Amino acid sequence: MNGNRRRPSNAIEINFLARWLGLVLMIGLAGLFFVYLKNQQHAVGDQTRQVEAALREIEATNEALKAQITAMTSRGALQRRLDDGYFKLEPIRDTAIARVTPALQAEPDGVLRTASRDPDSRLGLGVPQRAINR
Amino acid sequence: MSETRGRICFVCGLLVLIFTLFAWRLIYLQVSQHDYFSLKAAEKHSIRIPIPARRGRILDRNGEELAVNIPVQTVYADGTHIRNAAAVAGVAAPFLDMTVKELTEKLSTQRPYVVIRKGVSEEKAEGLIHAMEKSGLHGLYLQEGAERSYPNEEMLCHVLGFVDHTGHGADGIEKILDQELSGQDGFRMIEHDRKGREIVIYRGQEQLPENGSDIRLSIDMGLQAIVEREIDATYKELHPVSATAILTDPMTGEVLAMACRPNYDPNRFNEAKPEQMRNRAITDMYEPGSTFKIVVADAALNEGIVDENTRIFCENGHFSYGGKILKDHIGYGELSLHDILMKSSNIGSAKMALRMADNTYYDYVRRFGFGEKTGIPLNGEISGLVNPPQRWDMLTKTRMAMGQSVAVTPIQMVMAMSAVANGGKLMKPRLVLSRGEGDNVEAPVPLREVVRTKTANFVSNALQSVVSNQGTAPLARIEGFTVAGKTGTAQKISPHGGYLDNRYIVSFAGFFPAEHPKLMGIVIVDDAPIGKANFGGLVAAPVFSRIGGKAARYLDLQPESAAVMAQSGNAGSIPGSIR
Repeated sequence: MNGNRRRPSNAIEINFLARWLGLVLMIGLAGLFFVYLKNQQHAVGDQTRQVEAALREIEATNEALKAQITAMTSRGALQRRLDDGYFKLEPIRDTAIARVTPALQAEPDGVLRTASRDPDSRLGLGVPQRAINR
Repeated sequence: MSETRGRICFVCGLLVLIFTLFAWRLIYLQVSQHDYFSLKAAEKHSIRIPIPARRGRILDRNGEELAVNIPVQTVYADGTHIRNAAAVAGVAAPFLDMTVKELTEKLSTQRPYVVIRKGVSEEKAEGLIHAMEKSGLHGLYLQEGAERSYPNEEMLCHVLGFVDHTGHGADGIEKILDQELSGQDGFRMIEHDRKGREIVIYRGQEQLPENGSDIRLSIDMGLQAIVEREIDATYKELHPVSATAILTDPMTGEVLAMACRPNYDPNRFNEAKPEQMRNRAITDMYEPGSTFKIVVADAALNEGIVDENTRIFCENGHFSYGGKILKDHIGYGELSLHDILMKSSNIGSAKMALRMADNTYYDYVRRFGFGEKTGIPLNGEISGLVNPPQRWDMLTKTRMAMGQSVAVTPIQMVMAMSAVANGGKLMKPRLVLSRGEGDNVEAPVPLREVVRTKTANFVSNALQSVVSNQGTAPLARIEGFTVAGKTGTAQKISPHGGYLDNRYIVSFAGFFPAEHPKLMGIVIVDDAPIGKANFGGLVAAPVFSRIGGKAARYLDLQPESAAVMAQSGNAGSIPGSIR
């Protein structure tokens, strides 16, 4: 009866267990993170879809408004408004039109003159050469 | 013991076999049948959504919009989402202007993309979506599109044309430049969830649309409005079969305005009759009458057959040739080339033609562009009718000299007259200034030099006298400008042969300022029922004058008072020889 009084026991290999538990935990966390990312992706996708729809709607409204403006300012529409007396045209007599000399082009030196120095300009606004070249 | 062991082995073997079978089946489905099931899955969830390209706008030379797009919605059905077609139809039919029965038939499908109705307005589309959401039904979706709109309605209708129900050009510029205007539609492969909503993260292949190019025409809507108003007034006042007017820049060949009556509204093209839709400026040919005398005058002068001092005896108004009597409106004795044009002498022109070899004369007619299409980018242009010398009879040459036995289109006549105005170059008519973004303006295209500059200048000078009191078109004068031009009064051809009595096509083709032409115009009035006063100088010339006067004011052309005094110096009554 003098047998081995030591109680039999199975040692728990903490290192081994911790390694596997860590691995399982990592895999679990990775899975959860994957699911989280996937959900985020779907949420962002939904937002993208909504923003795209809103943009499309704004673009369509903008296009429709532009088309309306074009239609309301077209020659036919203006003519109808003119016929209705909404506004009227006042003829301008030829004698009431002052034609100014065309704008001068830049000189070869690239300097734009501030006034015509052509003494023969039609409006007689030519100024003496001396004054310009000071 | 061994019996137990045997049983265990049997069960294990059975399990291995079963799982092997499952594995084999799995491999078969996943590997061997991969393509087949992928396709089935894609068919179930993935659909190809077209992304329509925006059709390009049509603009005038100053950027005024002539054809634009109005956003509309296309309603389509996904048959795989429709559980009860009749219920969906009952809700949707009022918004789609369809009967419930008609819509139910269309919705009874398993196809994922069936177009139910195009061109649904934004308001109706929104109403439809709200009604569907409220009733908890699925299966109808919206797709954006656009409808073509022409804000100026009838104005310039023959040039612009229209877009048919398929979204493609059916006439005019819309048809000829359809490919450039249409662009290229794109597409996107998408997958959707059980409720039909797109799952954005599973978007597949995507190709963005290439929007159509904007087309900038040479047309100036300011000038077009002037021409339209005058041609409209003429049409309403004189009630002709048709009236046509064209304005061009003779130096570049640019078409600045083009109008015909009758016309139509391209926004409602399905209500138009065929005769309203004809662009008579390019599709109708007519005997030009005296306006064609510029050809024989140019040819004879350029060939040295006559010169500025040559005088031709005009037989006092009665010339017997080929067994027929050729008449002038008033009997003339000897006339110079200048006077033949000014007085519009048929006999003088015929005698000039007779001095030329047949082939030489024919060659000049062709060099002026008659008998061939001008190449204007519009559909339906015809080449007119010029018979070769082999098919001429004895009288053809004398008749052609005064604009008979030949048929031309208004655009041909304008371009021929432009050649006289610009010093002898025949230009290709230009209607499109640029395509797409940027300022890459297409250059003018001179086709050939028809006559020498000296010849053209002499004829141009003679044409100025046509508008004097001694000429046939004093009513074509434009205050402040020298005008050069030629009248035409041609009897209408009977469909049974010969000519119709007292029925005329009258015209005036001219340009101004004569020395440095800025505008070239033609006015043609076909068969106005106004009795004996139906002459080009009385009917078409005043219209030209009104158009020219307003156009000069619009373009702010500088009046040339000294030259005009010379043209209109002999103020007095209008002579009775207006033709």
